[in-house]
Formats: sequence, C-alpha cells, structure tokens
Amino acid sequence: MSGLGYTVPAVAAVLAVFALEFGLWHTGLFRRLAYWLSMVIVLGFQIPVDGWLTKRSAPIVIYNEHQTSGLRFPLDIPVEDFLYGFALVTAVLLLWERQQARWLAGNKHG
Amino acid sequence: MSEKWQYLIVLGLCLAVTAPLEFFGPGVYRQPRRLVRAVLPVAAAFLVWDTVAIRAGVWTYNDAYITAVHLPFRVPIEEALFFVVIPLCALLTYNAVTAILDRSRRR
Repeated sequence: MSGLGYTVPAVAAVLAVFALEFGLWHTGLFRRLAYWLSMVIVLGFQIPVDGWLTKRSAPIVIYNEHQTSGLRFPLDIPVEDFLYGFALVTAVLLLWERQQARWLAGNKHG
Repeated sequence: MSEKWQYLIVLGLCLAVTAPLEFFGPGVYRQPRRLVRAVLPVAAAFLVWDTVAIRAGVWTYNDAYITAVHLPFRVPIEEALFFVVIPLCALLTYNAVTAILDRSRRR
C-alpha cells in the first residue's frame, strides 16, 4: 500500500455523485425506497459477478496491490470495488431520474 | 471453447438474467433515448478513469480471459461493454422495483 491509486479515486467518485445530487440535480433519488432496495439487490449480484472477476486463483482483473488498501472482502473483491460500483450505478440512476423530472417539469409548462 | 470468452460470457449472463425485468412497468429498453442519456455520459467518464488506471498500472486484465479486441490505449472491449451492461442491469432492477412498489401501494 502506497499510491492508493484506486482507493482515492474510488472515494472521490462517491463524493462526486453526492455533490452532483445535493449540489446540482436534486432528483430526490436518495429519498426513494425503490433506490435503496435496488442497491441491495445490485449488491447481492455484485458479489458473485465481481467475485468471479477478481478471484485470486484465476483473476480476470488484476489489481496492483500497491494502489489499493489491500482489504479484499468478501471473496477476493477489493473493497474499493464497492465504492466504484456504487458510484457507477448511482450516477446512471441519477441521470435516469433527472430526465423524468425534467420531462414532468416540461409538461407542466406545456 | 477458449477461456478467452470468459469476461464476455459473464457480461452476457448479466444481460440474460436481467432481461425479463423489462416486462415490469414502463421498462428500460422501451425508453431508448432516456437510456442512452443516462448511460452514455457515465460510461464515458468511467472509460476515461479506466484508461488512466490501465496506463498507470493500477489494474490490468488477464489476457487468458479476454478476447484481445482492444479500444485505443489498450482498453479491452469487455471494459467498454461492462460500462453499458452493468448500468443496464441496475436500471432494469430499479424499473422493476419501482413498478412492484407502485403496484403494492395502489392496493
């Protein structure tokens, strides 16, 4: 562990997603039960899929351990992957919701 | 069959498992414009991150399990597809959960 070239950007990505929602977009996604339930389901599927991609016995993705926290759990998944996945999925859902909000607003004016 | 298809097969399975969720509510594939506008900007940002990480040696891909088709800067084609497939799975999940919750609330 030295560079944290994965850990730092992974944390930054999560913070960026929060900044977009609370500073800019205000979609209300984080107040929706459907969002949190979906995230639990996504997490449930991330573990086997990501576990397969990162298993140390036959990895598809190979991490430079100097660039991560070194924590790999569950299975051999680097914990950073969960921040990465959270940021990826949440950003897409935010943009998805944002268009719905815009469409509704447009209709009100029209 | 070659092990080189492994990563692509994993992505294909993700699409296959989530495909039936399209039947709930207004769907995701049935809203192609909204889908593209939600997925593309995020995929582009993550592809840039991926490219930088590969160049900086933060992570690499096992040549045994990828097809050897690469985008510029040695980004495997599977990675580009990952940034489309995983968001699609998430959107389909969110679409289905939303539809089911709405239905139970109306009762």
